[in-house]
Amino acid sequence: MSFRKRNIGVSTGIDRNAAPTAVAQAALPESNPGVRPSPDDGRPTTSTGCPSLDGLLAGHAGLPMGKILLIEENGTTEFAGQLLRYYAAEGVVQEQKIHVVGMPEQWGRSLPGLIGTADILEGKRSDKRKDERMKIAWRYERLGEFGAGIAGSRDAPPQTGDSDGAQKPQQAFCHAFDLTKRFTHPSITNMTFIPLTPSKESPYASILKRLQSAIQSSSPSTIHRIVIPSLLNPGLYPPDASRPEYVLQFLHSLKALMTTHSSRVTAMLTLPLTLFPRSSGLVRWIELLCDGVIELCPFPHSADALATSGAATSEEEPPQGMLKTHRLPVLHERGGGNDQNIGQDWAFNLSRRRFEIKPFSLPPAEGDKEAQEASVPSGMPKKADLEF
Amino acid sequence: MPSQPPLPPLLTPYLSSHPDSSLTLVTSILGATSNWLILRFLHSSLASLWAPNPSFGLDESNNGTKKKVVLISFLRGWHFWRTEAKRLGLDLARLADKKQFAFIDGLSDLFNTAQGSRSPANPTPARPGIPQRTTLPVRGPPGAVPARGPPTAQIPSAGAPEGTTDKGVAQTLSFSGRGVAALDALENEILAVIAQLKISAEDGEEILLVIDQPDFLLAATGPSMDIGATEMAEWITGLQQNVHATVITLAADSPLIHNASTSGIQGSTPIEGEHAAFAIGLAHRARSVMQLRTLETGAATDVSGVLRISRGGGWSSGPEDNLDEKELLYYIQRDGGVRVFGRGES
Repeated sequence: MSFRKRNIGVSTGIDRNAAPTAVAQAALPESNPGVRPSPDDGRPTTSTGCPSLDGLLAGHAGLPMGKILLIEENGTTEFAGQLLRYYAAEGVVQEQKIHVVGMPEQWGRSLPGLIGTADILEGKRSDKRKDERMKIAWRYERLGEFGAGIAGSRDAPPQTGDSDGAQKPQQAFCHAFDLTKRFTHPSITNMTFIPLTPSKESPYASILKRLQSAIQSSSPSTIHRIVIPSLLNPGLYPPDASRPEYVLQFLHSLKALMTTHSSRVTAMLTLPLTLFPRSSGLVRWIELLCDGVIELCPFPHSADALATSGAATSEEEPPQGMLKTHRLPVLHERGGGNDQNIGQDWAFNLSRRRFEIKPFSLPPAEGDKEAQEASVPSGMPKKADLEF
Repeated sequence: MPSQPPLPPLLTPYLSSHPDSSLTLVTSILGATSNWLILRFLHSSLASLWAPNPSFGLDESNNGTKKKVVLISFLRGWHFWRTEAKRLGLDLARLADKKQFAFIDGLSDLFNTAQGSRSPANPTPARPGIPQRTTLPVRGPPGAVPARGPPTAQIPSAGAPEGTTDKGVAQTLSFSGRGVAALDALENEILAVIAQLKISAEDGEEILLVIDQPDFLLAATGPSMDIGATEMAEWITGLQQNVHATVITLAADSPLIHNASTSGIQGSTPIEGEHAAFAIGLAHRARSVMQLRTLETGAATDVSGVLRISRGGGWSSGPEDNLDEKELLYYIQRDGGVRVFGRGES
């Protein structure tokens, strides 16, 4: 029964996938499509609902189970909240249990609509790639795109999905969503909303209790996602919520909960940096308690003109802001270092159908048609394309 | 790249020599964590006991003194330390069985006492092959470790995450109450574990105490719960008195250290002021300070960060104590090996 529901969601996008999917499901009832081993070290990971964010996470091509990802955002925009919605929507599609903290149920209705697996978006791109493919010797074709190494390439998740024939019958790991549609899915009732209840003691105590009992009482095969939008936001949280002894103890207990059930819980939280700047000790401790820390710096509106001219080509949307990775799950726990994604300047772009993170690069000079033409096929100009 | 020895040769002298009642301070920041260095400390103290062939390689330097290690971790669970140590070839669970090593868990239950979500450390051998999440009725009677906190009969599955068992965790700390009394309770729990190791200690065996991020305890309680830098420093001293040498890791991110001293626009919050006082106070007492930080010039693909070793305020200038100050680069490979090298070398 459960997989039939899922097929409704998936098959709206891809019809040809529906039949083999059902067969695979029947054969392997135990396998959980939303969780797959990391290509890096085999630990279970789950998708954040955003393929390019998955690709950013230190080679694991997904968020490792038992880890907390913190997304900080400057300014008054809602890009981080959008990432959270992808994360929650992906969880619903994968029939995981979603716990949303501190938000009313309307939040659940604002999730973006499902349009299919993430491969759909890649489909368009690979059309573009196909023209190029003719030039590549056929024996290298299967090796994948140049530069898309095993170690944490952005394209890793879709690549494994569509290039490897053996994985074809598997359920999609990541899906694509459309912001202009509303999310409807049979298993949307899997979302629970945990309100903040006023209390004299820590306002987080009741949240923690509910999370603990929900996770402990569920069956061991249930995967949970904890979504905490806009932590400490005074519009949602009472004034004493930002007292260090409350919020740090809560996050520490959350971390303990994730460690105890390390193969079936993930969490993602966002923090408004304008209200709680990174230069304060409290925020630094919050960051230290999270496994992954990503900061979004949207461009101010005055930079719109610059951003438009910053688009490499007319087909490509201009970047809407910069993204910084301060800490990545697992990698930094071990000491940090050797990820090829670290130290890159990242730009992000939110369009109707995807949240895309790509290396930030200054475009060829305006009016330099030849250089612009040259950068079209690769999609993103690499260093080699920018030789002066 | 060739696989690296578990202990980088350049670091060996710093990792293995701990004069009596010395304090080594390891500071880390957000992008340069100290876990790998702690694992090296564990390895240099424990490997010679564990290695089947003690005359092999670098372990020789360590044969003189036998050591036992007590590790208290406030931010990482037992599972993490065990798996990471295994990558270095160190079986912490076995060492814990042999009473060479004790792990004190300051993560799982520290602020969770109301729930009592975790069953007390159970010394009955757990069966790793069988997932314990399935409903087990009643396990064997609790053994040597006495049960603390409220009974947890209602949730048999609580304390057993996949692949992790409580085997090897000597003690699970839980914080209750406030002020010095609460710290004293924690201290007693830790001292009980140290005493257990001491009972089985042979002649000349020394105990190394490693405390991973006690500063979190300070940050999560703070002056509003009557715990400040002074109380924490005294707490550390109380623990130090019972062991041979101590290694402490602290966060030294600039907001936590520098905000306190600048009389800027926003002033400093108690969390920043207390942290700075605690960290600087410990640095003055330490024999050596090992600072980990990222490169100032931005990230590089072949350097993870900078390790700076300097003498602390407690360094004695006697002839028996020689400690070279150094600044080195380190690089963590994907397989967990660490390369340590000077600037300009590779």
